[in-house]
Amino acid sequence: MEFLRAKLAGKQGTQFWRALEELLEQPQALQCLREAVPQAARLDPVLDRRSFLGLLGASLAFGGLAACSGPPPEQIVPWIRRPEGLSPSQPRFYATTLRVGDDVIGVLAATHEGRPTKLDGNPAHPASLGSTDAMTQAAILELWDPDRSQAPLRHDAIASWDEFLGQAAATARQFAQDGRGLRVLSGRIDSPTLAAQRQEFLQRYPGARWHQYEPVDDDAAQQGTAFVFGKPLCTRHRFDQAQVIVSLEADFLATMPGHVRAARDFAVKRSPTGVPPTMNRLYVMEQTLSLTGANADHRWPMRAAQIAAFVEALAAQIGVPSTRPPAADIAGGLDSAQLRRLKALAQDLQDHRGTSLVLAGAAQPPTVHALAILMNEALTNVGRTVEYFESPEPRESSTDSLRTLAESMGSGMVDTLWILDANPVYTAPVDLLFEERLAKVRNTVHVGLFRDETAARCTWHLPRAHSLESWSDLRTYDGSVSLVQPVIAPLYDVRSLHEIVAFLLGSSRADGREIVRSTWRGQGGLDEEAAWQGALREGVIRNSAPAAFEIHTEPRALPTEQRPGAQGSLDLLFQPDPTVWDGRYANNGWLQELPKPVTQLTWTNAAWVGPALAARFQLHDGDIITVRSQGRSLEAPIWIVPGQAADTLVLPLGYGRRAAGHVGERLGFDAYGLRTSASPWQAVCSIAATGRHVELATTQAHHVIQTGEPLRAGTLLQFRQNPAFMQAAEGAPASLYPERAGGEYRWGMSIDLNSCIGCSACTLACQAENNIPVVGAREVQRGRELHWIRVDRYFRGSPEMPTVHHQPVPCMHCGHAPCELVCPVGATVHDSEGLNVQVYNRCIGTRFCSNNCPYKVRRFNFLQYADTSSPTAKAQRNPDVSVRSRGVMEKCTYCIQRIEEAHIVADRQMRRIADGEVVTACQAVCPAKAITFGDTADPATAVSRQKASPRNYRMLEELNTRPQTSYLGSLRNPHPALQDET
Amino acid sequence: MRFAVFRPPSTAGAPVAQIFSPRFGTVVKLTLVVGVGLTTGIVLAWRAFTWNPHSIGEPVEQPVPFSHKHHVGDVGLDCRYCHASVESDAVAGIPPVSTCMTCHSQLFTDQSVLAPILKSWRTGRALHWQRVYALPDFVYFNHSIHIAKGIGCVSCHGRVDHMPLTARQAALSMRWCLDCHRHPERFVRPQSEVFSMDWRPADQRTLGPLLIKSYHIDKRRLTDCSVCHR
Repeated sequence: MEFLRAKLAGKQGTQFWRALEELLEQPQALQCLREAVPQAARLDPVLDRRSFLGLLGASLAFGGLAACSGPPPEQIVPWIRRPEGLSPSQPRFYATTLRVGDDVIGVLAATHEGRPTKLDGNPAHPASLGSTDAMTQAAILELWDPDRSQAPLRHDAIASWDEFLGQAAATARQFAQDGRGLRVLSGRIDSPTLAAQRQEFLQRYPGARWHQYEPVDDDAAQQGTAFVFGKPLCTRHRFDQAQVIVSLEADFLATMPGHVRAARDFAVKRSPTGVPPTMNRLYVMEQTLSLTGANADHRWPMRAAQIAAFVEALAAQIGVPSTRPPAADIAGGLDSAQLRRLKALAQDLQDHRGTSLVLAGAAQPPTVHALAILMNEALTNVGRTVEYFESPEPRESSTDSLRTLAESMGSGMVDTLWILDANPVYTAPVDLLFEERLAKVRNTVHVGLFRDETAARCTWHLPRAHSLESWSDLRTYDGSVSLVQPVIAPLYDVRSLHEIVAFLLGSSRADGREIVRSTWRGQGGLDEEAAWQGALREGVIRNSAPAAFEIHTEPRALPTEQRPGAQGSLDLLFQPDPTVWDGRYANNGWLQELPKPVTQLTWTNAAWVGPALAARFQLHDGDIITVRSQGRSLEAPIWIVPGQAADTLVLPLGYGRRAAGHVGERLGFDAYGLRTSASPWQAVCSIAATGRHVELATTQAHHVIQTGEPLRAGTLLQFRQNPAFMQAAEGAPASLYPERAGGEYRWGMSIDLNSCIGCSACTLACQAENNIPVVGAREVQRGRELHWIRVDRYFRGSPEMPTVHHQPVPCMHCGHAPCELVCPVGATVHDSEGLNVQVYNRCIGTRFCSNNCPYKVRRFNFLQYADTSSPTAKAQRNPDVSVRSRGVMEKCTYCIQRIEEAHIVADRQMRRIADGEVVTACQAVCPAKAITFGDTADPATAVSRQKASPRNYRMLEELNTRPQTSYLGSLRNPHPALQDET
Repeated sequence: MRFAVFRPPSTAGAPVAQIFSPRFGTVVKLTLVVGVGLTTGIVLAWRAFTWNPHSIGEPVEQPVPFSHKHHVGDVGLDCRYCHASVESDAVAGIPPVSTCMTCHSQLFTDQSVLAPILKSWRTGRALHWQRVYALPDFVYFNHSIHIAKGIGCVSCHGRVDHMPLTARQAALSMRWCLDCHRHPERFVRPQSEVFSMDWRPADQRTLGPLLIKSYHIDKRRLTDCSVCHR
């Protein structure tokens, strides 16, 4: 560490680094980085010369043989009666809603000839506004997953629904008296229809109970509101109204419900507009680096106890009436640097009364949530930047509810248990001994999408219909309800969750649509068929959000809490995984291969440690440690996360699945093994090195841009003094190449790094749109991932407290493209509208182009990655994009299929393509609207206006490649009194 | 190079008489060369005669011997009556059975050739037609834009009004596509004549460039790879 500090002290100006190895300049790591193609260094020489020649000869011979057959004869199967208005090749869009992770997002599902192929955000939905996140994009792959359960199972043998109906009727008869001994366990109820069914269930079986357990819960927030208001309330934040935001470990840009909308609102306030230009300011206090922290103007890594102490001091500073027995000096525990921050932050909040916002994260204790609420009230933010409302659906404390159930099961009080779309055998806190106690229940029924750990231990497993196959309704973060409608008939013999619950309620033939429709009879104004159809078409039920709660706070003494973090031990923080969440998306290859935003790891999780802790234990990335907590232990490889608090260990949940499917099993370690119901988020632990090491699949060091300054960043102050401070002094250098004669349009892209939050939704949207296959962990280790748009991450400053920037990098579509000059077969050429196109059928796979690309955006199919045999994989694909074979180079096309479609529509009508008519997949999905695309030849288009900004710059413009993709530099807005910190 | 002449192992040390004359090597070499050449020639000739990816003019067997000659030539149906999406969509569309039944619920209902249609209508099981014009999957052809820019059906599909059974009339090779994409002025027609079977231009040399202009055809991009391949 001393060495690191000394190295950094000598550096001046904007010095960016991507991996700690770069700073350390370890000879072996540096050599790896220096490799223009990182995969070359990782290739194991498994073939000797003779077998190589043998294989070469054989492939030539077999290739020749294969070429002998002509194309297979094709058939055309027309309709008997064609549905009205159904186009054979144009996609149709249906508005529906998905529950993804902890969030509910409205989407438009594109279907090609009845096959759902792509999900886009629904512009009318308040949680989406047209954008989605990465997990929502991957939901389409979940629908087509061949590992989905396809038939009811009884003791793991295929059974029929009729048999199950007999069983359900027997259950109904058995509990007709009072229902004692009958229990239901579901996830959090955010569907009004499910809530109504629960009500009916409790009326019918008064002695029965319905439990709710969500592994990633918001118990602390509910308890915090309950403390202040006397009852648990939900919170909606208005980031578009907030000038100063203080996040107490609240990851509102990436994991909190409503994060897609939050990112949009945050980005709106982030753009430096007005005279003089202003931006919002974000302070983040957190134990480890989150995406929200990565976008902060001030990010202070703290231990859990430090955050609580700091918040208390802050609350006292801004005049929250003291809720504690008067202490001698609340700020006594803070050091001088923290006092300085405290003073500046309190002043900033006081200066922005009514336009500031304080919010706390799920892992923070209820007292911190309560203090955040009280601070918002003291700052007169309530009603402006924050509102509270009562959830119309019944909410229960997740861990309490599950604990009650587990104890009843243990004492033999549960005879029949129905588990609805939950996987408690895997996700339950380890001290509840759920798996053991489940064996004591006589009759167990599991409903789920997959035959998971819980299904394997239940009498019955019933396959649930996917959300894209069923009727339902869902309430989103702000309380609005939207309908869920099927966009395809169920692929297998499955039933929707509501239909299965209806079986329990004694109905033998349930119709999902009718169940949902009956919930909305007499409310929401949906009785008329036209209103119902309107709500379906629009994708959201108007005015369905509950009104804001009239605020009455009753100051009470805050309970004193046992805070973990005693001297000598480490804080242990659990986190949902950014891609597979609590483990439910483990079988989703797209999500597994998406580099996780903070760590850039793929296909696995790792125990996160800070640089100081790693130095203390002499640990390197991938070293296996033993983590001990409360008498239990597990082994995990570590990953060093710059900016993590020194005495904190983070364990991401969601891995170590034992029964997930072919893709998701036996990856990573199961952090639930240390999670207890008493403290599900925060614990204490100790670690010890084992001396063993494992190589993790990370993309951190792949595609490094070695020359120049790919990322430009500064502060708002610099921008005010000289708006063009990021632009190169001289214009574009002269070129020996002649200028190309342009066509009617000149397509270009602008990426605003000030808006980009680094969420990687663009990478997955591109994967879904362009039929990009996954390659697997081993191939990722060799640097062969195929993502067409990657999100580079840069750090600046010290490893303990770095500033973080993200930069999405698609193909630059260079005007003077280096790749085109070296292709021996003309497989990559320019078209007349400025696109650098890749012709797959000409490509012979020399890979000269990727070697000559300074931006490292070309991807090669080293093996046959695309699955051309599974019927469900084929059905998911976008029919407008070629599926590439082995030996072919591919890269971002600017979504050429969308450009051509717009061209055809406009050309048919003899008009120009309007601005905004071509929307690339990455642009459409971006929650922060950081990507703009359009015709750069026309100065009036949005993209031309973006490019005219003084922050505009071209990556590596000194190479004179004349890229059509350009960037707007990133700005930070530090507090004037704390300028020296960044 | 000389062929090694076979000799029995010299056991006794006595000279053995030469079995093959030195000239024989040349004969062997010649025989080999001719043999290889002949085999290659035969294989190539066989391929040339039997394998034709662009078999043109050969009717394809269909479940129903549908005659364009009758429907277009004799009855005078418009192309769009059956191929309804040709003006708005990438594919022209094979008509649903319901389209056939608009007439054939009344006409020729007792003909045996129509039995598959009636059966399909009765049972709800779709007909399986054989594709006549098949493009590779990496080519993205769009009918609607060709119709909108004045390319007649005849230009690619030939005189279907003379075809009792439908056969492919064009090679569908990339060169064939490019012939038109390089010189669209030789093929464009007035909008009114796109579906006409027997229209002949009076003077394509003057008409063509005028139509290119009025259709706003950007000839610069017609040969871009990205126009057809994605």
